[in-house]
Amino acid sequence: MQNPDGVLGKPKTYCIIFSLLVFVILSPIFVWGHNINYALERAPDSRVIWFYLKLGILHIIPLGTDHILFVTSLCLLSTRIKTILWQATAFTVAHSVTLALSMKGVLVAPGAVVEPIIALSIVFVAIENILLSKLKPWRIVIVFLFGLIHGLGFASALNAIGLPRNKFYTSILSFNAGVEIGQVIVIICVFILIIIPFGQMKKYRKFIVYPLSILIALIASYWFVKRAFL
Amino acid sequence: MDTFLKKKYGYGLLLFAFAAIVIVTLLRYQTHENKLDVLLERNSPSAMTNEWVLMRDYASTLRNKIEKNPSDVKSILALTTLFIQEARITGNYVYYDKAALKCVNRVLKLDSLNFEALTYKSLIYLSQHHFADGLALAEKAQKLNPFNAFIYGLLVDGNVEMGHYDSALANVERMESVRPDIRSYSRISYLREIHGDYPGAIEAMKMAVNAGGQGDETTEWTRIQLGRLYEKTGDLKSAEMHYTIALTERPDYPFALAGMARIAAAGKDYPRAIDYYRKADSMINDYSIKEEWADVYKHAGQKERADSLTNIVITKLNNDQQSGQNDESIGHYADRELAYAYLKVDNYNKAFEHALLEYNRRPENIDVNETVAWVYYCKKQYAEALPYLQTALKTHSQNSLLLCHAGLIYAKAGKQNEAKAVLQKALITDPDMVTLLKKEGFDSLRSIQ
Repeated sequence: MQNPDGVLGKPKTYCIIFSLLVFVILSPIFVWGHNINYALERAPDSRVIWFYLKLGILHIIPLGTDHILFVTSLCLLSTRIKTILWQATAFTVAHSVTLALSMKGVLVAPGAVVEPIIALSIVFVAIENILLSKLKPWRIVIVFLFGLIHGLGFASALNAIGLPRNKFYTSILSFNAGVEIGQVIVIICVFILIIIPFGQMKKYRKFIVYPLSILIALIASYWFVKRAFL
Repeated sequence: MDTFLKKKYGYGLLLFAFAAIVIVTLLRYQTHENKLDVLLERNSPSAMTNEWVLMRDYASTLRNKIEKNPSDVKSILALTTLFIQEARITGNYVYYDKAALKCVNRVLKLDSLNFEALTYKSLIYLSQHHFADGLALAEKAQKLNPFNAFIYGLLVDGNVEMGHYDSALANVERMESVRPDIRSYSRISYLREIHGDYPGAIEAMKMAVNAGGQGDETTEWTRIQLGRLYEKTGDLKSAEMHYTIALTERPDYPFALAGMARIAAAGKDYPRAIDYYRKADSMINDYSIKEEWADVYKHAGQKERADSLTNIVITKLNNDQQSGQNDESIGHYADRELAYAYLKVDNYNKAFEHALLEYNRRPENIDVNETVAWVYYCKKQYAEALPYLQTALKTHSQNSLLLCHAGLIYAKAGKQNEAKAVLQKALITDPDMVTLLKKEGFDSLRSIQ
């Protein structure tokens, strides 16, 4: 990971600001338990694993257009695989934490709050791609914090299907693995379609990153308005 | 340096804007959640009744009281009952269940062990088809007050829906011993019905009707259930008589109109049936009425209208289900209904997806198992349907539609003896069965014989 240049303030400050935001977001939460999938309680482990793995993949491709745009935005900051992997890892760890906590009923946020903020997080990361040209430590922090919010979004989708009580960790890990597979597929697609053919261009950022980031920011802004006000 | 400064301020602005928008979103949500809901104006002729005027005024008084004193638990709970009542009258469960849930959550924030609030919350969860959650809440409330008949009613409903029929029987006995009334008798009737005892079910439902106040919505709803039992046993005249009485007691009562429509459809008088359904649909937003109406269109040879109506049902059910993801309400689980609706428009994959979603929540329920079995039948996967069918038949229900489905599945799965036995039983009573299905049943029986 590259060192911070220290120009935009200490990463700790951003960490505090976003931690406060997450606290504010989660404080009015009404806590309830997750739904139970009774039928899968009697199913063999292999069936449970396959069921939730498939569900996780489907939740990204093709159902999770917002997550696809978020991951695409993460890939646009830099053409370096290391940069992308750092961000993807932070995102994965974060959404795994909130997904598990949420499904345990410890932390559940209403969709009316989570969904617009997910859209807003995409706008943020897309604009950040225009403002930043290389990975800064606080970007990892930001991606991690947004991952926490995305995890709550995954949980609301998973809640409708429910989890078997006796295979809670098996099912949640399988779902997470499925989400990861979905994300890896998106990253590979971005590499094949954008980074490999255009990444070495002199004006890659001007002709590829800026227009794509603007387009992503516009789509996500529309989602935000739709989710928050319509 | 200039670019650097621009980026620095740009980034600061981005952070500020993000934080501001998030805070506004949160505040907007909090304000919306804290706002008390109102009774919506009714569009149907029932808006002209004195009952509605009194109800609206009472709701307004309660709202004023709560605004003056936000901890006025009694008024909040009274408003909750009005919302629950209005949901049942208008069929607008999406709006009123959410409004009622906001009220009970408000009470539970003040007093987490408030018995009435827990009871209403359980009722709302059951109404939204979140049966496991509704049952869990009813169990919690029952521990607080084991001498309340209403809570036993909720335990019966929750256990029936979750397929715990033995527990439901135990609870209904307890309910009757605490308070023998319209609620306990009607539940006894339903349990007898699903255990195949139609005469016993009719007897209990008659007792329920007699125990209620004449003309009350609850009494007339119970009378409709009595009529439905007569329909299921082939006694259309008695059924029609009860629907007529209900219409006399409560003019334009939508469930009575739907009953009259079924009687007309059974006599193949489709134009009359369609008129009844149209009128019933104008009075209440009820998907089961729309689905029956679509069936009649199909039998009358108006397939396009039938499909259009079914597609409306599918869209609305999906919207209702989705609504719960956006706030503290829970959304209406309608996967079983959606499975049947998708079957009607021959979308077997979607039907299968929804049937399994419901099965995952309620693997012991006989109706859910019947749905999965029937979807497998429609997909021509007869062997896969059999284990679900076995569970569907476990209470020995004599429902003709269930038996007809069972017979057709057995026949296709090569179990001729079982097929013959259940088809013969199913085809003795006709009116509850879809005409086309009846023909399929007869054809199947003929081929076996």
